[in-house]
Amino acid sequence: MQRRTLLKLGLASGAVLALAGGAAALLRPGLDQGRLTAPARDLFASLGRAMLQGALPAEPAAQESALQGLVERIDAVAQNLPAHVQAELSQLAGLLCTAPGRLALAGLVAGWDEASGDAVRAALDGMRFSGLALRQQAYQALHEIVGGAYFSGESAWAAVGYPGPLAL
Amino acid sequence: MSHFPDPIREGLRRGWKVHGGTHGALPEKITCDVAIVGSGAGAGITAELLARAGLDVTIVEEGPLKSSADFRQREAEAYPALYQESASRKTEDKAISILQGRCVGGSTTVNWTSSFRTPPSTLGYWQAHFGLQDFSVEALAPYFAQAERRLHIAPWEAAPNENNDLLRRGALALGIPTGSIRRNVKGCWNLGSCGMGCPTNAKQSMLVTTIPTALDRGATLLVQTRAEQFTFAGGKAQSLRCVAVDANGRPRGAGRATTIVARHFVLAGGAINSPAVLLRSQAPDPHQRLGARTFLHPVVMSAAVMAQAVEGWAGAPQSIYTDHYLETQPIDGPIGFKLEAPPLHPVIMATTLPGHGPAQAGLLARFPHTHVLLALLRDGFHDQSPGGRVKLHGDGSAVLDYPLTGFVMEGARRALLAMAELQFAAGARQVLPVHERSRPMGSWAQAQAAIGQLPMKPLLAKVVSAHVMGGCGLGGSEALGVVRPDGVHWQVENLSVHDGSLFPTSVGANPQLSIYGLANRLAQGLVQRLGGQAQALA
Repeated sequence: MQRRTLLKLGLASGAVLALAGGAAALLRPGLDQGRLTAPARDLFASLGRAMLQGALPAEPAAQESALQGLVERIDAVAQNLPAHVQAELSQLAGLLCTAPGRLALAGLVAGWDEASGDAVRAALDGMRFSGLALRQQAYQALHEIVGGAYFSGESAWAAVGYPGPLAL
Repeated sequence: MSHFPDPIREGLRRGWKVHGGTHGALPEKITCDVAIVGSGAGAGITAELLARAGLDVTIVEEGPLKSSADFRQREAEAYPALYQESASRKTEDKAISILQGRCVGGSTTVNWTSSFRTPPSTLGYWQAHFGLQDFSVEALAPYFAQAERRLHIAPWEAAPNENNDLLRRGALALGIPTGSIRRNVKGCWNLGSCGMGCPTNAKQSMLVTTIPTALDRGATLLVQTRAEQFTFAGGKAQSLRCVAVDANGRPRGAGRATTIVARHFVLAGGAINSPAVLLRSQAPDPHQRLGARTFLHPVVMSAAVMAQAVEGWAGAPQSIYTDHYLETQPIDGPIGFKLEAPPLHPVIMATTLPGHGPAQAGLLARFPHTHVLLALLRDGFHDQSPGGRVKLHGDGSAVLDYPLTGFVMEGARRALLAMAELQFAAGARQVLPVHERSRPMGSWAQAQAAIGQLPMKPLLAKVVSAHVMGGCGLGGSEALGVVRPDGVHWQVENLSVHDGSLFPTSVGANPQLSIYGLANRLAQGLVQRLGGQAQALA
């Protein structure tokens, strides 16, 4: 099945890459044995910084620490996913970590570590409202992973007024 | 650390026969009277009745055995441990997110306790269209009554929480009748954490009722064990091959297999998963019914900001409903919907509310004042609502292909309209239909105009599901279903299906009690056919 999913997503993303004029960049997976690779960790930190602006602590050190916590939780979530979902996440993150993939799927010119928050959010909206199901699906996946992982952390609760469960 | 007694850990200390996961290696071969795949609503009821009848029962569960001492009311722990695909199961095109349990007790361990008998209009449709003449309100009533007694299903006497009471008040203002939802609880603490596993054992899920009874009667439970496939010969299932799996479902120990040989097999792994076992086994399917007509009650949602605190995380998650939009129109006309309120916790809120960055942060900042309604669309009663089809990935895992038709999505638009109107009638300051192209609106007139213009497309309108039904449908003849009216597979004489995959359409109400009642009737029949002592559930 992994092969089949690869073919399916591979075909569609290959077409996106071709449209964008990208060469067939060799795709490095975003997960290695279920764990986020170093580039994928950077990707999710950048996405978190942009997607959670307004919810993250404003103070730079606290923000950095919150983003590290986010990446750790995404790593934990990834490990627990079944194989076919891991394969999809690995392809998505892997693709976004290549320059042609980033351009084709997200429409983002600058790298994840140098793009401004506004540029990343504009890229995300491009995916969110795209006429191409693959780009919409990618946005929805990132929205769920980043938002879900961040707000599952107890340190995120106070900012949204959630007191946490009643102690028993 | 909770100070509540933990009936599961006590049972393990008493010597329950549990294998798999942290409970020791699986035996290579098991021979028993009946093997049951799954441990949720249908499996639990069946296991108790068969074990009490003196039959030797083995229960096979893919998920882990977790219990009240593990249930700490935290989404971060509950979703990965207790739900299919870490609560992020999706339909094939990713347009619908599915909440489905994957643990001992199945979805009953994590559901929100809403208990409805199968609506008479639904039963009437099954009688008329699926040859199920014996599925009348009267014929099923005793089986529902027994399940209600066994699981303490009763009216909820406490006041609804504000999130539910807003549904009641908004409907009242519009002259729409509402009802109170009955719940399967005993000594409920009104915490609101049902979806993360009940920490006080008040919820009368299969985990704390029928499964312990079956284990006390000598049944064997295999956990973290996936039913892979049956071997068929001569119109019978000869054996079931199972593998030990890790927490994330990967085969463990180089895919060490266990073979179960039984006189009879009961498939009760839930919709999507039960048809998938039969698909992997290449079960006979002469009329191409297997996996088809899988229904979801597709759900759309509407979020409102109130002046007062709502705190939708606190209190019984679901206590008020209205069937006004089901009962005021023909069942086979434009799709109708049931309105309810969901529990609200941070992960659910953050993944549900659309957008990102400062815009979404602005919505989330009003979380304590946010009220949410949901509409369950009654799918399966019209030829433009044929549901989805279960398919297999190349590795044998299951996926549901469920196209959201224009017919269904126009129902979703009417549901967004109805919810917005009701929320403004309840005093909402702002209403946000949950849709990527929407924004908060300050009046019913504004919302009405905006919702009328929303593109009702998959991946723009947020659609979720917590009710998976069908795929091994009941039918009065071979051409109409996978399973006979007595629950036995039309082509395999010693294989029954006892779970939500039996329903020939969606139920039109939260399905747990429909599954309990149906499994109760089918399992009592099975006991007699297998020569066990006749049993009633309660």
